[in-house]
Amino acid sequence: MTARLEVSVSFSYGERQVLKGVEFSANKGELLAIIGPNGAGKSTLLKSMVGILRPTGYVRLNGTNLLELPPRERAKLITYVPQSSYPEFAFTIEEFVELGTYATRGDVGEALKKVGLWERRREYITNLSGGEYQLALIARAIAQGSDVILLDEPTSHLDINHALQAMGLLRELSGEKITIAVLHDLNLALRYADRLILLHRGEKRWEGKPEKLEPGVLEEVYGVKAKIAEVDGHRVILPELAKV
Amino acid sequence: MTMKKWLPALIALSIIACFLGVYAGSVKVSPSDVTESIHYGTKSALTRLFPSIETGEAPEYFTIIWRLRLPRVLLAYLVGLSLASAGVASQALFRNPLADPYIIGVSAGAGIGGALGAIYWPEHMGLLALISALLSVFIVYSVSRVDGHVPVDTLLLAGIAYGFLASAITWYLIISQGERAHVTWMWLMGTFNGAGWRDVGEMFIVSVIGTGFLVWKWRELNLILFGEESIALGLDVHLYRKLFIGAIALLTAFAVSTAGIIGFIGLVSPHIVRLLLGPNHRELTPAAALFGGVLLVFADLLARTLARPTELPVGIITALMGAPFFLYLLMKHKRGELYS
Repeated sequence: MTARLEVSVSFSYGERQVLKGVEFSANKGELLAIIGPNGAGKSTLLKSMVGILRPTGYVRLNGTNLLELPPRERAKLITYVPQSSYPEFAFTIEEFVELGTYATRGDVGEALKKVGLWERRREYITNLSGGEYQLALIARAIAQGSDVILLDEPTSHLDINHALQAMGLLRELSGEKITIAVLHDLNLALRYADRLILLHRGEKRWEGKPEKLEPGVLEEVYGVKAKIAEVDGHRVILPELAKV
Repeated sequence: MTMKKWLPALIALSIIACFLGVYAGSVKVSPSDVTESIHYGTKSALTRLFPSIETGEAPEYFTIIWRLRLPRVLLAYLVGLSLASAGVASQALFRNPLADPYIIGVSAGAGIGGALGAIYWPEHMGLLALISALLSVFIVYSVSRVDGHVPVDTLLLAGIAYGFLASAITWYLIISQGERAHVTWMWLMGTFNGAGWRDVGEMFIVSVIGTGFLVWKWRELNLILFGEESIALGLDVHLYRKLFIGAIALLTAFAVSTAGIIGFIGLVSPHIVRLLLGPNHRELTPAAALFGGVLLVFADLLARTLARPTELPVGIITALMGAPFFLYLLMKHKRGELYS
């Protein structure tokens, strides 16, 4: 079945409007990257979509508004991988991934094998490095088995090797799912995403395929002059150094 | 460690602790006196249901063992079990290993009720403590509510602030009692002196409901450790916060109103078990509950035998016994020697 996600959300913290009618849609098999400067509302968008925050608007999957479902029903359809922080509780890797199966009774073993942590499943997550913990978080989301996976900066604490590994994994996953990741690294976004959504001050400023991204819009949103060059067939952003 | 290993060990430890609790005391009895009296007592209790059972004559120390020691030991066990399981829930709810179950205002509230009771209605001290403990949780909870939800940070701060206020009132009430203040003091520090079968029955029902619920909801306790983010995993976090606050309030309010404010069990038992077995509530909740029972039976045994013929408040013993052991485990944990 072809899954289609339609999003239109607004959210305010008290008087302050953080998301102003952000609208977009996504189809099964797509990997979307949400980009934008700090404070643009990227994390708020993901948290609103998954129901951690209570936005106005809708998040429709094949016509069903996920925001109206009870959490357990919603978790079968959409999940969220938070920004990786240091794990505080010494669950084993297997127990930790099993937490993802609360709503769905998914396959923990399969998820562990996919991220390459099956052999180490009896180790404690507190002993994992930042990159390995990120993989455990992704495994938890895979075990949950929902059609839509949202990821908040999945590569932010990772070295280049782990970042590529994580992005490769997301690319592989996205075949069966709708994957939406907040990314700070614009080059990773250009390289791996099917489509980019650029947020600025709580609004969608630009949306399009990576090859359509122009330096002008980057300068306007980030305040940084940049060139976009092509290396071995891939587009790469080269920012000008800021004058100190 | 798997459940198959620790569960029989903890059940055996519980039986040994309770047996020792009944066996030891100022009047010397033999182990067979204990078993005979329990046998006779059980039989005579059953005659109410089956009048055809013949009981014969009561053994020599029947009154001491069946009417004084056994209910006291069982009550200590059930109170320990309730405080420890409420402690587990409290630490999960606040995502903080230093949270004890009293933090939502239970003990502070019970103090006011107990002190008021000591002045005006000494025969209903426990009931007043219960009402005021539950009322206090309700106040703390209502103050913390924002848009129908309870942020745990606000709940924690409200609980602490309310604790100071309630302690001030309790202190004033105690001072105003003059010479009778001693009774309230002893009660506040916790005692199982004068425990009867009725107390055991009430506490049994409360612990089965409260602890049973927490043991049953181990997955939800695991998830709530991740706070609001657990919504993405499917947990109705706002509903479960309310349910867990309810269970903690029920267990601790009844424990405190029957036995006074016994500190440290609710903090130390979950923590010790977590250091040994890990944070998974499938094991943590039942193991910490049973261990809490064992700890409190031993503490009560020491409280009534250490300074014979005087009795020490059991709360002093739990702190004296629990704190050094806890520090020892913490040091071992730092060196990475625990979790097997």
